[in-house]
Amino acid sequence: MDERRAEAAAAAAMGRHDGHPRPASIPSGDGSVWADVSPLLEAACADLQEGELIHGDNFNLFAAMSALEIMDPKMDSGMVCRYYSVDEAIENGAAPVPISFDKTVDVQCTIDIMDHLLACEGTWHKGHSLAQTVFSCIYLLRPERTSSHALLHSYCRIIRATCKAVVSVVSDARTHEEEDLFTMSYGLPLIGEDEKCLSMLNAVEETIARQLRACKAPSSGRKVIEDLEPLQNNPALEEGYCKAILCRLRFRKHFYHVLMCLKRPQGRGLQLARKHISSCLSELEIIRKSTEVLRSNDYGTHNSGEDKTTASGRQPVGFDASINTRLSAPTPPRSIKILSWSEAVDYFVKLLHDLDIICSFSLDASLEGILQFMVQFQKSHPDLVSRAHLQTLLIQDGKLYGRDSIFAVITKAAGLPEILRNHDIQNGECLVQLGQLVINLLKILSTNAAWQRRKLGKILQDWRVIHIQLELPFRQEMGEESGLSADQSGRQDILRQILVWVEEQTFWIASRFLMLGFELELYSPGEYCMVYWYIYVVLIKLAERMHHKMSFTNATEPAKTRGKKKKGSTKDTSRDIQMPASVLFLQSYICLAEGLTMMLAALRNERMLSQSPSPFNSDHERFIQHFELLQKAGVPDHISYQSFEESTKNVRFSTLVMYNYFKDAQRIAKEVKNSFPNDPDRQSELRRVEQVAEHNSIALTVLCRLGSLDPSLKVSFDFSHHPYFATAVVKRS
Amino acid sequence: MEEQRVEALVSEGSLDGSGINSSGSDYVFRVRNLLFRRMLVGIKDGRFFLGAFHCIDKQGNIILQDAVEYRSTRRSSPSPMEQRCLGLILIPSSCRTSCHVDCFIEEQLSLLSLNQ
Repeated sequence: MDERRAEAAAAAAMGRHDGHPRPASIPSGDGSVWADVSPLLEAACADLQEGELIHGDNFNLFAAMSALEIMDPKMDSGMVCRYYSVDEAIENGAAPVPISFDKTVDVQCTIDIMDHLLACEGTWHKGHSLAQTVFSCIYLLRPERTSSHALLHSYCRIIRATCKAVVSVVSDARTHEEEDLFTMSYGLPLIGEDEKCLSMLNAVEETIARQLRACKAPSSGRKVIEDLEPLQNNPALEEGYCKAILCRLRFRKHFYHVLMCLKRPQGRGLQLARKHISSCLSELEIIRKSTEVLRSNDYGTHNSGEDKTTASGRQPVGFDASINTRLSAPTPPRSIKILSWSEAVDYFVKLLHDLDIICSFSLDASLEGILQFMVQFQKSHPDLVSRAHLQTLLIQDGKLYGRDSIFAVITKAAGLPEILRNHDIQNGECLVQLGQLVINLLKILSTNAAWQRRKLGKILQDWRVIHIQLELPFRQEMGEESGLSADQSGRQDILRQILVWVEEQTFWIASRFLMLGFELELYSPGEYCMVYWYIYVVLIKLAERMHHKMSFTNATEPAKTRGKKKKGSTKDTSRDIQMPASVLFLQSYICLAEGLTMMLAALRNERMLSQSPSPFNSDHERFIQHFELLQKAGVPDHISYQSFEESTKNVRFSTLVMYNYFKDAQRIAKEVKNSFPNDPDRQSELRRVEQVAEHNSIALTVLCRLGSLDPSLKVSFDFSHHPYFATAVVKRS
Repeated sequence: MEEQRVEALVSEGSLDGSGINSSGSDYVFRVRNLLFRRMLVGIKDGRFFLGAFHCIDKQGNIILQDAVEYRSTRRSSPSPMEQRCLGLILIPSSCRTSCHVDCFIEEQLSLLSLNQ
């Protein structure tokens, strides 16, 4: 009896009776078979206590929590949605070629596909993966299939070529931001150069242009000479559809040209790129207007869904977002929302404007000018693609614009004469490292604000170390200068000037680090006082170093030659007619920062700040947390929480009555505006400084007069006039 | 067959969990011997997972280590299979449809038999 039962069990084990097919292609080992253990497992589970597990010695509950749960949509990317594979989808008619045997419907659907692809491309640019966006298009996944459909085929080819070009430039820039998803193209048909894609596109464009001329011919009275088949069947729609397709094809053509021009080394293609950008923008305008034609033919409603991804409002044929989920990592990608069609058009308009700004920037600018440009550029929040282009334009083959050696750039920035730019001192280890730091700085300034701030904080240490290394020979040779040869003395002079520039640059990085904190909203109002104080301290050093550097050059005084390089102090300012404009510009910032520090300190000391202190950490701890990187790098030296406390603990409104820093800021800003006639960015910045100064000055006057006497006065701070410098708002509650 | 057997054991009162010799812990003992062996689990949507048996709980949820997913490229079989490495996975008992362990022909009888 028992034996028969055992045989039955064995037969069951052979797998036919449990009723679940097992693929023969999953082999068991040599001399072994697959034995069904379900009954045994069930019996064992029944015997377990609640919460009891059967596991081995290597089991760790914490590690087990990281297991992917099968059939959970957030964790299981292999879950079968609609189709098991692309091929099954195709066999089930998900991406027919042609899309319809009715030419009119075929054309309408093709336009929808073009529009949806634009929306996918925009979504991809915003930071998602290709597999989930552009390559959710089944037509793109099997390129050969569309060869009988000229329009769709050429469009797919240009899309692939464009995506490839964009992936290439972003990979070259290697920003390694969170958008690493962007360049993932494993398993996607993106390989190989497609030289013929443009000629194919041109041929199709030519045909449709002729079809457009043909359909307009009767009204213009010309005889139709060409025996040309129309684009589609409905003569009333022919003109509208021809135009809609033409603007889309032309946009793609010009956009591809933009990317190719920008790729050319040493910025040689920038002017031509601007022409294509301009064409792109006009085609996008026409594309936007084509919605009228495309929508009016079907659904009469114009406000049907703001998130439609096509101009016509229809769902496009041939897309399946779930088909590629297995191409990502074991876990499925986050579910994403494809941009709406109008959002996508807006995105490309912005992208083209940002690229245009990059193209119009002069290739002869000084490093200071470049840094200023990059800071200004970031204010418009450019996306990854434009930032990557900026970086690859600036730095090619380890040179600026692929043309100027970094040492030449440094010597120019430090105010050294041009003949020195090939001096062999550049081969010394210190200066090679300094060159790397400069390249790294330019790369960092092309990343997004959050990443940028983090990196800027980290490199402070590196810049400090370089400074110390460059300073070493001077420290060692105190008092021995008379023993140096002329060449050695010359080298010393070069290094001395470079040293001043390095210091200036370090403080500039520190100031950027601090100010980006406002942009990223990292400071709470209770911390503004210490932040402005630190900004004030750093800006003073920056201005000092900048002025010192400028005193080396004779740029402001053409008549006198001040060839001798001076070391040390700026006591020679008596020879200067006035402070250089850029230093005065900084001075206005310094006055603002000082004014804000004092005002906030007075408010705190008079207990007028509405902010209650945080119970979690003290002022001192927060000081350390915010300025840790600066303190570690000693930028500047001898600055501590104690110095901050010393400067601010006795400030009262009664003391501030004596000195209104904001009035100084206002005055300087007014004076300096005239020194930047060709710089609209600086001028608007100075106007903003003036505004902040004026509003704060008034607020300060009110507070000084009434402040401690009127408990109903409430003070708050906002950034309505300037992104970093707050404006005080005094209200009666 | 299995349910009757288990019920019989329950009624015999030997499933109090106290004795090492109770048949309840004998099943648990046998399943413990299956640990680290290659296990093939089939699930409702037709996929199979092959991995090292790592853990099971009272509800019948299974954890496999170094798992590989097998799936066919068409809904209907026969069809070519694709495979993919997944690492550590948890298969809920609710979606499990089959479970097989790789074992030698000789041992499968003793392994599977629910007799003593």
